[in-house]
Amino acid sequence: MEPSTTSRRNFIKQCVIGGVAVYSAPLLWEMSRANAAMVSPELAAQWQTQVNGQFKPKFRNDGIAKVTGQKVYGRDYRAMDMQGWPKQQGYAFILRTTDAAHIYQGFSLDHLPASAKPYKVITAADLVRDNITLPEFYGDNMLLSEGKTADYLGQAVAILLFDNFPAFKQAKSLLQFDANLLQFGEKTAFVSESKDPYATWRLIRVEGENGAREDIYSPLHDGLFFPSVKDRKPEWLSNPNAQGSVSERGIFYAGEIDKQITDAKANQQWQVLEREYRTQIIEPMMMEPEAFNGWFDAASQTFHTVVTSQSPQDFQEMAVHMLSSGPLAGKVKHLVVHSPYIGGGFGAKDHSIFPYYGVLTAMYAKGPIRLANDRFEQFQSGLKRHPFIMKSRLAVDKSTLKIQALTSQMTIDGGGRVNFTPSVASVGATAMQSIYYTPRNDITATAYASRNPDAGSVRGYGTLQSMTAMECMIHEIADELKVDPFKLRAANVMESGQRNTQGAIPNGTLRYREMLDMAEQDSVWQNRVASKKDYETKHPGMRYGVGFAIATKDYGTGAAAPSAVIRLSKEGKIALDIGFIEMGTGTQTSQAVLVSDALGNFADEVRLAEVDIWKAMQLVQTDNPYIISQQRQDEMAANPRWTPVKAMASSASMSAYYQSHVTRIAAELIYRHGLWPAAVSIWNELYFNTPMGSTNLHNSRDGRWVDGKLTALGFPPLSIDIIAKRAHDMGLVVGVMGHAFNRWAWAEADFDILGTKERLALDALALQYGEASPTFATTFNPKDRQASMTSNGYHLIDRQAISYPKAELNNAMVTYYAPCATLVEVAINEGNGEVTLLSAHTWLEAGKVIVKELVEGQIQGGLAMGIGHALHEGLPPFEDGAGNGTWNLNRYQVSLARHVGVWKQRHTILPQLSDTDPTRGIAEVVMIPVVAALIEAVYQATQVRFYELPMTAKKIKEAMA
Amino acid sequence: MSQSIKLTINNQAVGPIDVADGVMMIEFLHEYVNLTGTKFGCGAGVCHACTVLVDDEQGISEVVRTCINGVERFNGKRIRTIEGHAKQNSLGEITALSPVQEAFLEHFSFQCGWCTPGFVNESTALLERLKRKPIAKDQVEKVIEDALSEHVCRCTGYVKYYAAVKDLILNTKGLTL
Repeated sequence: MEPSTTSRRNFIKQCVIGGVAVYSAPLLWEMSRANAAMVSPELAAQWQTQVNGQFKPKFRNDGIAKVTGQKVYGRDYRAMDMQGWPKQQGYAFILRTTDAAHIYQGFSLDHLPASAKPYKVITAADLVRDNITLPEFYGDNMLLSEGKTADYLGQAVAILLFDNFPAFKQAKSLLQFDANLLQFGEKTAFVSESKDPYATWRLIRVEGENGAREDIYSPLHDGLFFPSVKDRKPEWLSNPNAQGSVSERGIFYAGEIDKQITDAKANQQWQVLEREYRTQIIEPMMMEPEAFNGWFDAASQTFHTVVTSQSPQDFQEMAVHMLSSGPLAGKVKHLVVHSPYIGGGFGAKDHSIFPYYGVLTAMYAKGPIRLANDRFEQFQSGLKRHPFIMKSRLAVDKSTLKIQALTSQMTIDGGGRVNFTPSVASVGATAMQSIYYTPRNDITATAYASRNPDAGSVRGYGTLQSMTAMECMIHEIADELKVDPFKLRAANVMESGQRNTQGAIPNGTLRYREMLDMAEQDSVWQNRVASKKDYETKHPGMRYGVGFAIATKDYGTGAAAPSAVIRLSKEGKIALDIGFIEMGTGTQTSQAVLVSDALGNFADEVRLAEVDIWKAMQLVQTDNPYIISQQRQDEMAANPRWTPVKAMASSASMSAYYQSHVTRIAAELIYRHGLWPAAVSIWNELYFNTPMGSTNLHNSRDGRWVDGKLTALGFPPLSIDIIAKRAHDMGLVVGVMGHAFNRWAWAEADFDILGTKERLALDALALQYGEASPTFATTFNPKDRQASMTSNGYHLIDRQAISYPKAELNNAMVTYYAPCATLVEVAINEGNGEVTLLSAHTWLEAGKVIVKELVEGQIQGGLAMGIGHALHEGLPPFEDGAGNGTWNLNRYQVSLARHVGVWKQRHTILPQLSDTDPTRGIAEVVMIPVVAALIEAVYQATQVRFYELPMTAKKIKEAMA
Repeated sequence: MSQSIKLTINNQAVGPIDVADGVMMIEFLHEYVNLTGTKFGCGAGVCHACTVLVDDEQGISEVVRTCINGVERFNGKRIRTIEGHAKQNSLGEITALSPVQEAFLEHFSFQCGWCTPGFVNESTALLERLKRKPIAKDQVEKVIEDALSEHVCRCTGYVKYYAAVKDLILNTKGLTL
């Protein structure tokens, strides 16, 4: 089997833009700006306040629009809201199959009354006739053809288009739940059974002698290897050889690990726990179901779209691919994509296939057309969290309590389309070790196709599943060894500098031990025995239990590519543009706040999801960054316009660290090459006896922002508007556009900025200069400087001495982590098995916190979602599952306030080590440890261990019986 | 078949409008009068994102889910949606928020904001009830639980919504004894 080439980015190079210009239209961008025009300027300005001389966000800068019900989400927009669109809104919905075991034979709409007839029905025959295909990332069979068996349950069969809402409404009411609408013939095998695995990964590592710095064998040290496929299953080499190829050696060391476990178990040296853990299919249940609105304006040859996507950049590229064939082939010269706020994502709107059905619909529509899932449809067709089966072994030395080996065979159900399944499988495998150091490991993850709906990059990205299993093993083996689990953890916690299961050293300080020490001292843990006795005495019929768990979640993709541009107006207003979209996590707010470190003031305006402006950097991407060779990378890097990845999706846990990196650098450059020299100029001119002496204002690090004004070495504070005007008048740097690349390390290059060479963690840089006045432009020609801004209004700086992270760092797979721990106490009703959360305490290491309240929201929201995963949420597989189109919240229980101990939550955000700490990506980890903590708490309450989720009240009651 | 609908939304007379049979109130708001602040969540009356306030002649409000109630139930009624809580100037700009909106905003109660209209309406109705019939301070948490218990939030885990309403009740004169 070849290594998976499915990544978040590799499809982009496969797209053909074909002369179609992509635009982000101003109307909705205006709407997505911080406190757009629907809010009075006076009210909008209140979002920032001052506390002890420092600016602080009083509320989210997108908050007023959201709390007053403005049109800011993709689903909100109708044709009448769109400038230049016809007012008549058309509607469409998709017919989907609930049978993946018989040959599909078509359907009839003859029984529909005339008032409910669609004006167009799109079927697979149209796609074949017009040569329309999905972008390669999504696979084939966009609509199921007659004569074929469906690939999966819920697969789209046809799209029905209507002129108006009443017709649409009437038809959908008649058709959506009509089990006899679609006709089927003979029974067949399931299509998924004929497919090879989506991906297989294997992480084998044996540490160096006595933990020496160099591994004997590991993916980073030796490389990854992959199996062949036989009978639709991976088949690994059977010729182990310690001196052989990477695969032969890998198999040799895997065999050695297995033998060591077997032998050490037999001779009683090691305690070996062997267990199987199963997780469920989860519906991410973001509150806004997916929607699309589109219209092709033939007169202007413009295809307009409004999407609800976490990854609009990718949509833009791939939509062009779709439009390159079909009825509009050659007719579309412009693609306009509006991607306003989304009402939650959790990964379900990251590379979802949904918007491409919208594109297809709009191709055939005679006017504006709206395709919007209801909740049944969202359950039926939306991306799911992958279910895992994990057969795992954990071996611990009985005398030292040190983990000796970890093995796991993970089987992952990827559903009907591959989507991000390969990378979810890989990240799940790499996360298995959690916070623990494992000197030997053999972890295999194989993802298969099934007839379940697609699964994708849903919050947790595979790590929720595997780290929960690891924590459960820690709990149980501690029990078997009769040691306190904190003592076992203390013996095995990974220390800074130790290698992970891939052989890579995690970046930064690992503060797991500090977090464990804090948790162990918590009164709930300390008093758990007495509390149990006391609670159960006072509450007959209730059982009490306490559980603790810890996790550390990677963040990043190994091919992160953030961009940012900051422009400082002559009036001192700061405008920040980034490629990320606001998913609700507060990116817009936090990025606006972030620039104040360097610029002393919040950004006055933050534009999201920008695409067009990056053209100024003229970047080109040619290869898949995950499998590029070092030689190829070196060759391509010689071109100063080349980058491994041009743009990245807005996925969980990515903005805080990756986007912040380039935003911060851009702000610092404006400070160093714009504001600081301008301020020095003012101080020299007005506040010192220049030229009779020197101010000694040579070091920009002497500058301090106080109350939004810049001071240094006692010179009078200057407000940003005054300094900005001078910066413009001096022709200094007033606009910075940067692009960065990270493969578990940042690319670095030298850049010449106004004659000063700086080494920056960027691989592309473009600058804007102020229009200098002759008064201040004494050492250069202002016209020359302005004339240098030839790249879409920017001066594109050629990088020098570029240093990209080595290609082999791909084998590290992940190295950035954020840890989180949760302690819960629960009471369980013996009569019905219901779990009541009595209290929860979460510890989180977020690095440098940008906006504390946003981090707290993540902690509390993550806890609720984790509780749902542990206790409530779950979809059955196959015909009874989501693909049958009958699921909704009436029988899919998500966490409600009464489930989460809403008044009884506490949290501790670890203080930063210093203000140079990175801002870690924490949006996923916060939901993970509570799952294993609840499993343990249920065990402590009931003496029943669960190996399969969710632990519903019914299951707990049955287990207690 | 169609029906003629006439009602008052946020103090504005709406209709009469011919509406097809079977149309839910949320569909009327979205597709007939282009008020999309009321959010569609589940369409099954479970998540409560779609709630609006129906005010009677005595000014007493009922919180009603619009995804499971046909538009005919609202015919002739006065309703308030999320768009009707804040004050606007003559330019249509929002100049002041309602106390509930302000509390949610300043407590960072929401992230994606999709569930927020439902929480605003339900909490507004609660405050109006307490104004008519104050409660003891030690009952505040309980009444909040009772009022908001069915609302689904997927981002912030309820804590900051509940804390905001609690602070607002305890700091508003006349709501507690």
